[in-house]
Amino acid sequence: MSATARRIRVLAVARRHAYVLQRAPQRWFDVVFWPVVDALLFGSLGVYFSRQSSIGRAGVGLLLAGILLFHVVFQAEISLATGFMEETWSRNLLNLLVTPLTEVEYVAGVVLFGLAKLAIGVGTVALAAWALFSFNVTDLGFALVPLVAILLVVGWSVGLVVIALILRVGQGAEILAWGLLAMVMPLSGIFYPVNALPSGLQPVARALPTTHVFAAARRVLQGHPLPWGQVGVAALGAAVLLAASCLFLVRMLALFRARGYISRHT
Amino acid sequence: MRPDGVVLRAQGLTKQYRRVLAVDGVDITVGTGERVALLGPNGAGKTTTLLMLLGVVTPDHGWVEIAGHRLPRERSAAAANVGFAAGYLPLPERLRVSEFLRMFGHLYGLVDPEPQIRLGLERFRITELADAMGNELSSGQRTLVGIIKATLHRPRLLILDEPTASLDPDVALRVRTGLADLCAADGTALLVTSHDMVEVERLCQRVVFISSGRVVADGAPAAVAASFGRDDLEGVFLHLASQPREK
Repeated sequence: MSATARRIRVLAVARRHAYVLQRAPQRWFDVVFWPVVDALLFGSLGVYFSRQSSIGRAGVGLLLAGILLFHVVFQAEISLATGFMEETWSRNLLNLLVTPLTEVEYVAGVVLFGLAKLAIGVGTVALAAWALFSFNVTDLGFALVPLVAILLVVGWSVGLVVIALILRVGQGAEILAWGLLAMVMPLSGIFYPVNALPSGLQPVARALPTTHVFAAARRVLQGHPLPWGQVGVAALGAAVLLAASCLFLVRMLALFRARGYISRHT
Repeated sequence: MRPDGVVLRAQGLTKQYRRVLAVDGVDITVGTGERVALLGPNGAGKTTTLLMLLGVVTPDHGWVEIAGHRLPRERSAAAANVGFAAGYLPLPERLRVSEFLRMFGHLYGLVDPEPQIRLGLERFRITELADAMGNELSSGQRTLVGIIKATLHRPRLLILDEPTASLDPDVALRVRTGLADLCAADGTALLVTSHDMVEVERLCQRVVFISSGRVVADGAPAAVAASFGRDDLEGVFLHLASQPREK
């Protein structure tokens, strides 16, 4: 297979999902509507608490930075998971499985288009936070680059797990596209340090790479330098998570082929 | 006479789903440019066999080789030589016919699929549907678009699962004519499942009958009918359908 053919296939998958977004208004909920709602909700919450306590204006920034960075994970995960779900909803899976398209090329195509969605979604949160609460995300400076990169990897990893579970148990697993991140959100301490969690959950939270990313972001917002040690732990965790997700997906795809689960999608 | 060269070779294909032995040691060979029908009653194992040949279902035993590429290791290279369409597959709702065909042309590695798209739409006489949305098509039109999709890359083997199921005679004729034209023009081999025995006799040079997951006959239509003491394939089909299914 030539590199040109591979590139063409990846772009074809990305273009297919661009058409879907263009023609399915409900998909804009994830990309624009929820980001604005989240910015409004958490920004207002921050303003209210800052007026009630001594944390002052910094509290607004912490909440908005938390939700903005959470949207990086969310948009990365949801674009990959719903991209795959679109194939099951339109019963297009068998059509794809009989082409030369490889699993890696398919994921690359969905991820490529997902990056465009991510830019729109996170851009919307950032714009809303700036317009409504004068919060400028670029205050995080260069620290944004490694933190966003790690969160992207985590989002894609969770997306791969969701795809693997849909392959294994069918469309009933689709709820996990939203449900898994709903579990990750509180455990990652996106708005608060880990020691605010119930003690039994703190070890679980510390095992999540996202926890270290949000903690690092808070440090930077409080005027400290980027804690590279914590960023390294998060990067390592994200790499392990990605490898585990890939292995899980490969295993579930093999099971999908062995048990003939394609019959659920035709 | 079987043409020289083999495009598909499968041996000993076996598949068990929980308590059902769906396919039990099926051997199939399709020569270059040959038109073969895979026949049998509902539940005989035809679709499972096709899915194993396409690499979508992994056989418990046996192996498949397409254009010299062994599955599953060389699935992608093998798939570049195969086209597949099924009468029961819909078109994605949010794509126009031309976009759908362009996407699959690219997935099959064509840098510029437009000439092949035009040729396919003309061959099956549906040029007016190029801008229609997938969900606006009738089942017959969907089938035609599906076959065009499967032949954009001029595959060496075209596999069709029930291509003319629930089609009116006019569209079914268009499918048959288009397929015969395609096979003659490109030397494409055909492996097709169908419940329409008249259509099979018109289109195919060889038939493979499956019953209870096993091949029970393989040969020219007239020879197979004669071997069962029947006048035609319809008689063979009805005879096999009346047999109790083995567990």
